[in-house]
Amino acid sequence: MYLSGYYEFCCRVKMIAGHDALEKIPGALAQLHAGRPLIITDKGVSGAGLVDTVVDAIKDGIDIGAMADDVPQDSSVKVVNHLADVYRDNNCDSIVAVGGGSVMDTAKGVNIVVSENADDLMKFSGVGVLKKALKPLLVIPTTSGTGSEVTLAAVIKDHERHLKMAFASYFLLPDVAILDSRMTLTLPPFLTASTAMDAMAHAVEAYTGLAKNPMSDANAIAAISLISSNLLNVIKTPSDREGRLALANGATLAGAAFSNSLVGVVHALGHATGSVCGVPHGVCMSILLPYGLEYNMHKRAHFTGELLLPLAGAEVYVGTPKHLRAEGTVAYIRKMNQNMHDATDGRHARFFEEVKDRDGRRMVPREKLEDIAEAALDDGSIVYNPEECDYEDFLMIIRAAWEGAPLDRSLIKGV
Amino acid sequence: MDDFKEITAGNKPFKKAYVAIMLWFVGRAIQAAARVDKDVKKEFEKLPDGFTFCLGVLPRGPYMIVGKNEKGRVKYMGWKPDGKRIDLDMKIKNIEAAILMFTFQESTAAASARNRMIVDGEVPYVCAIVRVLDIGEVYLLPKFIARLAVKRYPAWSFGRKYIGRVRIYFRSILGY
Repeated sequence: MYLSGYYEFCCRVKMIAGHDALEKIPGALAQLHAGRPLIITDKGVSGAGLVDTVVDAIKDGIDIGAMADDVPQDSSVKVVNHLADVYRDNNCDSIVAVGGGSVMDTAKGVNIVVSENADDLMKFSGVGVLKKALKPLLVIPTTSGTGSEVTLAAVIKDHERHLKMAFASYFLLPDVAILDSRMTLTLPPFLTASTAMDAMAHAVEAYTGLAKNPMSDANAIAAISLISSNLLNVIKTPSDREGRLALANGATLAGAAFSNSLVGVVHALGHATGSVCGVPHGVCMSILLPYGLEYNMHKRAHFTGELLLPLAGAEVYVGTPKHLRAEGTVAYIRKMNQNMHDATDGRHARFFEEVKDRDGRRMVPREKLEDIAEAALDDGSIVYNPEECDYEDFLMIIRAAWEGAPLDRSLIKGV
Repeated sequence: MDDFKEITAGNKPFKKAYVAIMLWFVGRAIQAAARVDKDVKKEFEKLPDGFTFCLGVLPRGPYMIVGKNEKGRVKYMGWKPDGKRIDLDMKIKNIEAAILMFTFQESTAAASARNRMIVDGEVPYVCAIVRVLDIGEVYLLPKFIARLAVKRYPAWSFGRKYIGRVRIYFRSILGY
């Protein structure tokens, strides 16, 4: 067990998890002295009938103040300020967010504006600006990936100034996160695969990164075990409720791990690929994760090798010689990607060359790789990566991840 | 309350003086490196004219301020942040954490990972300044110490490393 010389860890979110967790929302709100929530969601979630499921589960217990389903794919300052008006106009006293990362970030933004009795969210951007507790916020994730239900940050886009504004404060942690298997049952297999691999990347980078600590490690190991042992089954049998709940728990555990230990080169390159080429974040994570582990292996082989146990189970772990376990971890993650590729009829991409948009066009042209490497230099995640990463390093990794060839580790500087 | 003597935190003047000297020298070395080293020059070229950053220790300093003037020249701007518009504010939480960093017992990356610092500013600025600080450390410190301060000790040519080091020390001492 690795013990960091100094660390800080905070995750004070109450968890309610189960096949009938939604029914506990009225009680959870009552404990927070609230009972008239604004429900925030997006059109995809409401169109899939998930909000109806939530409303049916809670309508007898509380009085719903209002419902807004106009959160865009990228959260936006304008929408946040508008939803704050909806909250006030309907005399709401709490917020229930139903959706993915964008919905939860929007809900956190609305909560800042209404709790501070302000008219514009932008006054509160940055770290540690908030000085007091906010209104009660309950979040219900509808994907098993982002972990936003237990993170203290929100990223909201200012479309007028073309800026992504970051907000970070312990006061942004939701009061309650509700994990209910009904919320992810309809998630298509290829989205289940990429979002779960997003959570896997959170856990793996938290465990192998510079800010690792015993609390994050415990969360990360549990997350990896739950995701690894359930993901392929759920992709093959989407109605597997136990498996769905396991993935939701895994994503939340991974969120608690990375929220405190942060991430590294996989996320730096993933954010850059997302912003340059528009590739969904989970797809970037599943492709880049083995490459990030290979890149850092000369400094983190011991920790990477330890991950073979939660990933592959005791039998494989014990049967693999100690000096081969780190390579075994990388190979196992590649095998997971291959299995998911096969199980989704090729929709789960294994490398960037095969990532296609809805019209079948290649999303990452080879000539964009230099732009991705350049953009990754400006991503804060790289600060917490164990190995230094300059433009040439990023380019080497993204080229290998584009082709699908394992990283040639002899080319890594200093190895 | 009169029954109890109020205990105030120690000032730790020697530690503060040590960190103040280090910050003063690092600030002047960054100014020098921006004229001598191609990578530092490139990092500052990407930052806007008028950009200013402050590195200091909470609660009451010491600090150093470095910035680009309107002509794009990088200048050490002294140790008083008061009245200056700071684009990137990097504060070490206390003097003990600063000592760990400036005696190179803890790298900049490890200090960040251990929540030793509070950073206020745009993320790309943070990444650029961390890279500049790392390059500065490689110039200023002998290899066996610099290896503790940076993640990867760079494989520079003899000319870049040793001639660059002499030029940067010379310029830092003379302040140009």
